[in-house]
Amino acid sequence: MKSLKLPPWLVLLLPAIIILAAVVLIPLVLSLYSSFTAYKLTRPDSLYRWIGTFNYEKAIGDAKFWAAFGRTVLLLTVALNLEMLFGLGLALMVSKVTRGQRALRTMMMFPMMFSPILVGFQFKFIFNDNVGLVNNALQSLGITDQAIPWLVDGNLAMFSIIFAEVWTATSVFAILILAGLYAIPKDPLEAAKVDGCTAWQSFRYVTLPFLMPFIYIAMAIRSLDVARAYDIVQIMTNGGPARRTELLWTLIGRTGYVDARMGYANAMGYISIFLAIFFTVFFFRKLTAARAELGMGV
Amino acid sequence: MTLKATGASLIALAIGMASGASAAEFDGVVIDAKLIGGQQYEALYARIAEWEEMTGATVNVISKKNHFELDKEFKSDIAARTTGWCVGSNHSSFASQYPSLYTDLSDLIPQETIDGFVKANIDAATLGGKLVMLPRAQFDVSALYYQKDIYEDAEQAAAFEAEYGYPLAVPETWDQLKDQAIFFADPPNFYGTQYAGKDEAIVGRFYELVVANGGKLFNDDFSPAFNSDAGKEALQWFVDLYEAGAVPAGTTNYLWDDLGNGFASGTIALNLDWPGWAGFFNDPSASKVAGNVGVAPAPKGSAGVRTGWSGFHGFSVTENCDNKEAAASLVAFLTNEDSQKLESSAGPLPSRTAVWDHISEQAKDDPYRSEVLAAFKETAATAFAVPPTEYWIEATNLIYPELQAAILGDKTVDEALADAADAVDSLMQEEGVY
Repeated sequence: MKSLKLPPWLVLLLPAIIILAAVVLIPLVLSLYSSFTAYKLTRPDSLYRWIGTFNYEKAIGDAKFWAAFGRTVLLLTVALNLEMLFGLGLALMVSKVTRGQRALRTMMMFPMMFSPILVGFQFKFIFNDNVGLVNNALQSLGITDQAIPWLVDGNLAMFSIIFAEVWTATSVFAILILAGLYAIPKDPLEAAKVDGCTAWQSFRYVTLPFLMPFIYIAMAIRSLDVARAYDIVQIMTNGGPARRTELLWTLIGRTGYVDARMGYANAMGYISIFLAIFFTVFFFRKLTAARAELGMGV
Repeated sequence: MTLKATGASLIALAIGMASGASAAEFDGVVIDAKLIGGQQYEALYARIAEWEEMTGATVNVISKKNHFELDKEFKSDIAARTTGWCVGSNHSSFASQYPSLYTDLSDLIPQETIDGFVKANIDAATLGGKLVMLPRAQFDVSALYYQKDIYEDAEQAAAFEAEYGYPLAVPETWDQLKDQAIFFADPPNFYGTQYAGKDEAIVGRFYELVVANGGKLFNDDFSPAFNSDAGKEALQWFVDLYEAGAVPAGTTNYLWDDLGNGFASGTIALNLDWPGWAGFFNDPSASKVAGNVGVAPAPKGSAGVRTGWSGFHGFSVTENCDNKEAAASLVAFLTNEDSQKLESSAGPLPSRTAVWDHISEQAKDDPYRSEVLAAFKETAATAFAVPPTEYWIEATNLIYPELQAAILGDKTVDEALADAADAVDSLMQEEGVY
């Protein structure tokens, strides 16, 4: 009897394939399968109750799900743009510093070192209406005599969450853009100066195009992060009050782990993945175009 | 029980035979337990060593977490079918979610032991005919804490009577409490009252007010019954207080710790809260209102019924435990009279009739403690547990955002209750409850 002999390339790849299957593929397939079942954590047998596309139809027809989806897109758009603008400004300023730049770069990274849970608690306290730092400061300065409900009012609560997100992640942009600034060749900038360009024109038409690939890489990384925003929001508002700050993952987290409806939560999760895929594809296209413009190839 | 336990049994047996001593009841048995963690519970757990010595068994505590974390762990255990451990901390608000996890203790515990508990507690611990836990001395119902000096100012009393047409006194009804809360409020420095504003907490408060107004949260078949006159009246109470600025603006984000610390900060006049806070509120090192705290029974609703949403901690034995008799013995020990006397000596309320009498006697010479006990005893007499459905927590997650929407003005009371009732109705139908 002839024993089965695998081709050498497959044998060599097998360990990687097995590990990938174990840590990525199997959980993915299992969660995808469970999204077509009535799986409840408290009833293990329900994992085998196939209900077809019921969970997907329910999610698609659920206004609360789409409201959370819309809010997540809003958070993503506003937070990403603000982080980009602040990160760009911070990087440009730090790049001009001649002494102590290394210390500044390290300090700039401090917010990234905090656990999101801690950031959530920190800003929950800062924006607390009764004992919070912001209200106490505003009242002490005589700017207001009211207790401003930062984490209750719909707009202010989203603002507070965006503020926390921007505080914690602006340095991601700043570090990546700073790396971009160091990589810019000096010749085009000097040529622009010789041609009589103003500082703004040099920045707009020389520096910025060189920085765009770095900005898009930061955008792609952060868009994946923000599309999965959970910890900070969970601690600060838990998606409330009255669903005013409900995002996709606070809704999905509650459905899966508090309500124990894992099948439905997984279905919502799979629909939500399209959001992450969309933004990743969008930013990679932009990145490719920006690189092509610089003649860096695709 | 494991090979280790069997091995230990054999060794214990051998030693017992060699020494000629009679073997203890559960020699060598190892009981794995998942218990609620926290400094306040440690005194009771210190007694476990006594039970081990008495029975020859060993208790192996494999998890110590708060109830919300334990709840997630139990659900994961059920999903992963790793429910071979024996004793778990339980809570009346969570218990109905695990219909298959715990065994019926009435087969394992003598009836006279069960008869020693407050009947209402045993009723609430019995789900689907199964006694799923024995209550410990951690019984919770809310009474009214208030700052005493606000009732001693003759000028304010006269102003109140002139405005509302009746004398100012500690409120006996929720309508009186609303009037007084609005009267005393001086935001942002001082508020008339406050309430838990999210999660199960606000639904619990809403539930007890609905009952106090003569309504029900669910019908007997667990279809929603709160979209009623009693329900609307209850929700309107929350809305009116918020609109009048009589509660802190952030109250819809508050949970128990925020409320307790708020009252202790001296900025809240009237506060419906749990018995566990009584000592903290009157402790001068922790509370600005120490020495000025009064405690009264919970006020009554428009139907003349006192609010009394109650809950209690307990211990359960899993269905898959290898030695249910030993586990039940441990549960009985941790909830017996001595255990309850020990726990309640630190403040929590007992769930055994004899221990209620004991602590009342003990508190005779302490006027504050006597006042606290009298108020809570009065409230406990008509207390009621959460509806016995395994969908309680899930239903509260559907109801609370709608209550918040009404409080914050996003929806009218009618719209909010109609939406909440629709959502709960869909849930119950989807789960095949009716």
